[in-house]
Amino acid sequence: MDNNPEKVDRVTDGEFLLDLAINATPNEKSEVQAILRLRNEFGGFFGAGQSIEVRELWARGIIADIVRYRVGDMDMVMTPFTLFNPDEEGMVNNPSIFQPQKDLIYYEQFYAEGNQRRLQGAKVDMGLNFSKGLKSADVMAFISRIRGADFFTTPTRFVGGGSVDLLSNTFNDSLGLKADLGLNLAYTWDDLTVGEANSGIRNAVTTIDFDVTILEQSKMGLHLRGEVGRSNLNVLEEDSISVYKIDDTFLEVGAALELKPQHLTLSVSYVDVGPDFFSIGAQSKRIGFDRPKSYFNRVGADNMVRMPGLFDISRDRSMYTFQLSDRLMNYDPRLSNTSPYGRATPNRQGLRFGLDWKPADERIEASVTGAVLNEIRGQGTNELKSFNLIRAMANVNFDKMIDWKNKLRLTLGYQYENTSRSGLEVEKVDLNSNLLEIGLEAELFANFELLAGGTFLTSNGRDYIPLIETFNVVKDFPDPFVSDDTEALLGAGLRYNFKKDTYVTFQYQNYSFARKTDPNNDYTLSQVFVLYTMNF
Amino acid sequence: MKYNNRFYLFPLLCLFLVLTACEHDTDQFDGPGLVDRFGEFQLLEGLTISRATVDFSAGETVIFGARFNKRLNFTLRITGMESGSVKTIQGFDNELNANNAVWSGGTTMLPLFKREMCQVELIIPDENNLTLTGMVEIVGTKSYEGSLFTDFETPLGANLFTGNFEFELTNRTGRQNDMPAAQGDWYFLFEGTDNVVPNFFVGLADISARVTGETYIPFPTTVPEDLYFNAFIYADGGPHGIAVIQFVYDLNNTGLFEDGQDQTFQLAGDYPLDFTGWRQISHPMSDLGITQAQLSKMVGIRLLLISNMNSQPSPPLKVDYGIDFITFTAGGPLEL
Repeated sequence: MDNNPEKVDRVTDGEFLLDLAINATPNEKSEVQAILRLRNEFGGFFGAGQSIEVRELWARGIIADIVRYRVGDMDMVMTPFTLFNPDEEGMVNNPSIFQPQKDLIYYEQFYAEGNQRRLQGAKVDMGLNFSKGLKSADVMAFISRIRGADFFTTPTRFVGGGSVDLLSNTFNDSLGLKADLGLNLAYTWDDLTVGEANSGIRNAVTTIDFDVTILEQSKMGLHLRGEVGRSNLNVLEEDSISVYKIDDTFLEVGAALELKPQHLTLSVSYVDVGPDFFSIGAQSKRIGFDRPKSYFNRVGADNMVRMPGLFDISRDRSMYTFQLSDRLMNYDPRLSNTSPYGRATPNRQGLRFGLDWKPADERIEASVTGAVLNEIRGQGTNELKSFNLIRAMANVNFDKMIDWKNKLRLTLGYQYENTSRSGLEVEKVDLNSNLLEIGLEAELFANFELLAGGTFLTSNGRDYIPLIETFNVVKDFPDPFVSDDTEALLGAGLRYNFKKDTYVTFQYQNYSFARKTDPNNDYTLSQVFVLYTMNF
Repeated sequence: MKYNNRFYLFPLLCLFLVLTACEHDTDQFDGPGLVDRFGEFQLLEGLTISRATVDFSAGETVIFGARFNKRLNFTLRITGMESGSVKTIQGFDNELNANNAVWSGGTTMLPLFKREMCQVELIIPDENNLTLTGMVEIVGTKSYEGSLFTDFETPLGANLFTGNFEFELTNRTGRQNDMPAAQGDWYFLFEGTDNVVPNFFVGLADISARVTGETYIPFPTTVPEDLYFNAFIYADGGPHGIAVIQFVYDLNNTGLFEDGQDQTFQLAGDYPLDFTGWRQISHPMSDLGITQAQLSKMVGIRLLLISNMNSQPSPPLKVDYGIDFITFTAGGPLEL
């Protein structure tokens, strides 16, 4: 730190991880798998730092050639409002230089493709085909235990539910007219029959989602998509007396137009998510901003707790969680103020739009998404906040442009967000933030790449961040959130790809944080690391 | 274009969903008001007092008023200029009115108010203790519920017997008005030193039920669980004294208090005199193990002054206490 007479701290650590999958198929209809983790922390005295644990365990199969089942660890996703793991904030088009550490976080936290959530329980599903009217029906049901009881005041918590997905036949062959309708239920409840606990929650989210193909032809496609539903939250005490009950609704409906010769997809949707809409399975975030950090949790002459920044989000596994939270988690308004809890963020009304361009030659691909939203109910005032968000990304593959056999790729990402509110002077809000990402991958010679990139965040203005007590109940507003920050995360390094998903990378990264309102506590962090990854 | 009839269900479904999905509760904003939390304070209307004089015995009350631009913590403190009694009303609001700032004559800190002038202070702690003041005069004190046994305002005469058997009580023992009483002007003072016959016992005082004009103490109820004994006790912090209060049951049905023949009941643990100032004591009569039949024939109350010789130095120090406003209430303790 500047003007800090204290000596700069250094931390050295490392580990060797081996996840060994043991897979068996006792018969043609059953399969079991276990993943054992062997971990050796560098610096442990020859065996003293080792640990072995079971990382994954499941069995699956098919019953009577009709019903598929899975028991044990499983990855589940339903809709963005029922069971969904929304992407973390602070990222639009992550530069490749930072991706190895992100991949490690995703692997450790079981963040699977498609925003799935890791659960432990049981799932069954089956599909039916029809000859008239309806083409197919897929039915799925699941149950999972997400928290154990302590046999005193904390009851066991389960999440369960299911979906019925109905796909129609094509109504009109020349137009490609058809409909896909889904019925969804996600239900979270506490089991009060075990132990001494006599208070618990019931959170039910029921939705209908639809995708109606208005037009599907060789040159154009037009879809009408959306989801609508309701949530109920009930808090019980003395086993059955309801002491708190709240429910609300949401709606998201829009259209997507695909211009196939131009490789363009345009979408627009209207969103209305009620202020009391509460969905544990969809609103739980990946990043817990109040979790202690692994690196330099405190900084400065005053030994103050360091605010999480781009450095922590890009590499610190302890900041992340895959657990479901029964209250709206803390968020950083500089990184995501419009939809901190994903599309299920409550108290939002307005329009979302998007434009995707992905030509077949893959020379350039780009997309722009945005939102113009308002609060539905005020916080601390009857005045309502307005949110304007625009996100853009582009990947430029120079090697395909100049027909070069080695990879040469530039990635760009940008996000601008503005939050505003009028009213009395003390009620006014005006917070602006910009996030810029630049990445470069250059294959110098066969399988040997130079990586470089940077992520930059600037933020200025003022907002009020609510202190959530339980569920989505606003208890208080701590001091106004005032920001005039600049963060910069830069990295450069080399990567050698042995083959797909097996590589070693050596990198140097430097991070700086500056706040104009408190320049004495500006600081920089830097890291040198080697990461070897092998998937086989 | 030719559409299947079933297709038209979808726009209708969408319309239905839109119409039913968009109603939300927007009556009240979430969380505390930002103006209340962070706005600059403005006094819109100063302290008002609804009347200059108040007769609480006639059921009158005093309503205080003030208005601020935001909700905040406030404290109303009413102090008796003669008794030193204090009534405190606290709240969190942007306005003082009949809903949150009414005084019915009670007190927060003993003694009770007398017919006296009172100073009123409205204090805003979060605004550098901004204080607004006013005055109100009590011309009639509050009437408290329950049955009064004695408040020592008039001499007890033959209804009071003071037992100074070991000549350890001082001459000041008896009715006194040398300091503010807990109620009215007079109280009963017990004072002495256990240095003649060091046996813990200093002296006693027997108050006959006839002080009420009845043979037996008239209670508002004789159900022990519902009947509460209340009194105000004064201590000066000297840690060696103990007050004992006994209730005398007419075991031989003579209608008189006969020592050695009648049965006494007292609270386990008694009352250590290790505090300073006036303090209210209250307990249900069921705590004494007394029955309803016995309550119908309570012939008196005995007060004792004990010196705790286990803690006293040598020579022992003087011990004392005051007692005032002995009452019995039904359903709960005396509410001040």
